[in-house]
Amino acid sequence: MVPADLLPTDLDVLVIGTGAGGAPLLARLAQAGLRVAALEAGVRHPPGGIATDEIAQAGIFWMDERLSAGQNPVSFGRNNSGRGVGGSTLHYTAYTPRAQADDLKLRTEFGVGQDWPLEFADLEPYYDELEFFLGVSGPAEYPWGPPRRRAYRHPPLPLNGAARLMARACAEIGLRTSPAANAALSRPQDQPGYGIRHACTNRGFCQAGCSVGAKASMDVTFLALAEAHGARIVDGAQATALTMKDGRVTGAEFMRGGEVEHLGAKTVILAAGAVETPRLLLMNGLANSSGQVGRNFMAHVGVQVWGQVEDDLRPYRGIPGGLISEDTHRVPGLIGGYLLQSLGVMPVTYAVQYARGTHQWGPELVRHLSGYRHVAGINMLGECLPSEHNYLELSDELDGRGLPKPRVHFSFGENERKMADHAEALMRDLWDRIGARDVWALPRAAHTLGTARMGADPETSVVNPSGRTHDIENLWICDNSTYPSSLSVNPALTQMALSLRTADALLKELKRV
Amino acid sequence: MTPGERNAILALLNSASVTEPTRRALVERLDARYERQFFDEAEFAVLRAVAIRLVPHDPDEMDLTGTVDHRLHSGVGDGWRYDAAPPDGEAYQALLSALPAGFETLESVAQDAAIHAVGISHPHAFEDLLAELTEAFMAHPLTQYRFGYVGFADALNWLYAGPNELEAQEEAYGPR
Ligand SMILES: Cc1cc2nc3c(=O)[nH]c(=O)nc-3n(C[C@H](O)[C@H](O)[C@H](O)COP(=O)(O)OP(=O)(O)OC[C@H]3O[C@@H](n4cnc5c(N)ncnc54)[C@H](O)[C@@H]3O)c2cc1C
Ligand code: SF4
Repeated sequence: MVPADLLPTDLDVLVIGTGAGGAPLLARLAQAGLRVAALEAGVRHPPGGIATDEIAQAGIFWMDERLSAGQNPVSFGRNNSGRGVGGSTLHYTAYTPRAQADDLKLRTEFGVGQDWPLEFADLEPYYDELEFFLGVSGPAEYPWGPPRRRAYRHPPLPLNGAARLMARACAEIGLRTSPAANAALSRPQDQPGYGIRHACTNRGFCQAGCSVGAKASMDVTFLALAEAHGARIVDGAQATALTMKDGRVTGAEFMRGGEVEHLGAKTVILAAGAVETPRLLLMNGLANSSGQVGRNFMAHVGVQVWGQVEDDLRPYRGIPGGLISEDTHRVPGLIGGYLLQSLGVMPVTYAVQYARGTHQWGPELVRHLSGYRHVAGINMLGECLPSEHNYLELSDELDGRGLPKPRVHFSFGENERKMADHAEALMRDLWDRIGARDVWALPRAAHTLGTARMGADPETSVVNPSGRTHDIENLWICDNSTYPSSLSVNPALTQMALSLRTADALLKELKRV
Repeated sequence: MTPGERNAILALLNSASVTEPTRRALVERLDARYERQFFDEAEFAVLRAVAIRLVPHDPDEMDLTGTVDHRLHSGVGDGWRYDAAPPDGEAYQALLSALPAGFETLESVAQDAAIHAVGISHPHAFEDLLAELTEAFMAHPLTQYRFGYVGFADALNWLYAGPNELEAQEEAYGPR
């Protein structure tokens, strides 16, 4: 066996980051016989070592300090980005709705925002493939979007308290709901390259990592498959610079255990997420002839409304996000739309959000928190328009590695404000109908999107519709940074679809050369 | 924490209902005590008094103030900071020094008034400190026991997820 720290040579492709963007293509390229490796800043978190405890699990989040500026500063850390073999999928809640066709055509429909340089039909076969491979659990008939060509592989997971209350409240006002699609198993599944993944044990800690492998994080799915086909994953290795020669990228420098090392490859794919990817590019002054690197940062409008009911709900039980409604996909007066999702919640996350969201303190704080078992949540997730005012830049402050900390400016525009208000009023109405007390709303923005947008025009975008940078022939980007608009659905499934699509484009290109 | 509480907590944590990684984290936290290292003695005394008002607790039962000091000393962050705010440690020190002299010895009503005032003059530090103390409080096994929270019993399946569908463990755990 090769010693674990011996680096591969003669790499065809080096991938930086192993999340929803990096992992699927790593597997695809390895399966096609290419010599591939990935650098991952975080370490491995095998399911068996995962504690059902939010503090002990802090290691799956990106905890290097980011500076949050603007009118609606985005919280990062445990809120917004992951680190580890598997990236943010280690802690995503595994909601996997598909984008709808009109999500991709916002400019055509409304005259603002951005169209994607691809069609729903380009994504659909990948959605089909992914839902099967990941083992998505979902309803037999999903009420929104075009009819599905391939049914969800597994039946839906059991609905927890919040989901059932939301279903009841929505029914009263005629909003349709459906069990959500969750990339977590309602039945065990044999996973190529990994083995048997167990069914979900309903322990509700998806955001702190899944200890049974039920949740389709990248480590137990695509990365296992990639390694089975010879891909190397170098973990604990943070890329700090891209190396260049004659206008082509030749590999990356990275820090591992305090040492700086180098890994060379014929092609490099940046998949470090929508903050670290532009940070690396800006530090290196690369791929930015359009001036678009770091621009148009987006975060979904993500207001949550919480309340407490008489029933003993135990919000830690069941998959946190069990129910969905996309009936608000289009709302008169709004550009784009939003969806509603029920929320279970872990105790510490709830407590900290309550403290930050209400600034309540003293005996009243403890009284409220003592009602944790009765908490039910509902949230919305909606379109965020790209805007000049929202961007990422390098600050003068240095991090522990001597690299400039990123500063992210974010302020809601008029449409985001209107959408947040509309959704909050609706969700408060729903929670009033179930007789919730102590109702409060947490204004929030979720997911990090944009900063290296894709487009056909090199003047206004960083990568082409396949994910290759316009400026550097052998440098590609595949992560949430390439989103030209935010879509009105959670991003992970679409990101994985883009990842497989990029892999197919790269393979086609390599064959042609 | 009464001996009864302690026994009940340890009985569940040490049972087969809890996986090893979870047990390790919670047993360690139950008795965690930290040496003051970041703040000076005077600051630390004020911080403790503030912590007791912000998130009422008995410092002999859970060392929330020490948890904050320890975190700052070890340089661990939570991944982000308001751009307008200085680093956490400095921000907390500025908040503490904005409190009236002898804060620890004031009547609770006067303490509350002073806290309201710094909440307005140091909004980011106030929110961050409140959030950090709340986190340490809610994560403590004693709090979880008193609130009847048993979600860490992770070696078993939760068979049911619906309202009031409690399993034996959930019925039994927590104060009577
Ligand atoms: C709490 C939470 C819940 C979520 N829930 C959902 C959900 O229910 N449904 C959904 O669709 N989406 C959800 N998401 C979002 C989803 O996880 C992301 O959209 C998706 O994972 C993004 O993929 P990515 O490849 O862009 O980045 P990531 O998955 O974050 O991967 C980036 C990887 O790159 C690594 N990296 C960064 N910089 C470097 C470097 N310099 N060198 C080496 N490695 C580096 C990081 O450590 C990380 O592993 C959630 C996100 C959060 C934070
Ligand atoms: S709820 Fe299910 S999928 Fe989520 S972490 Fe627990 S076992 Fe895994």
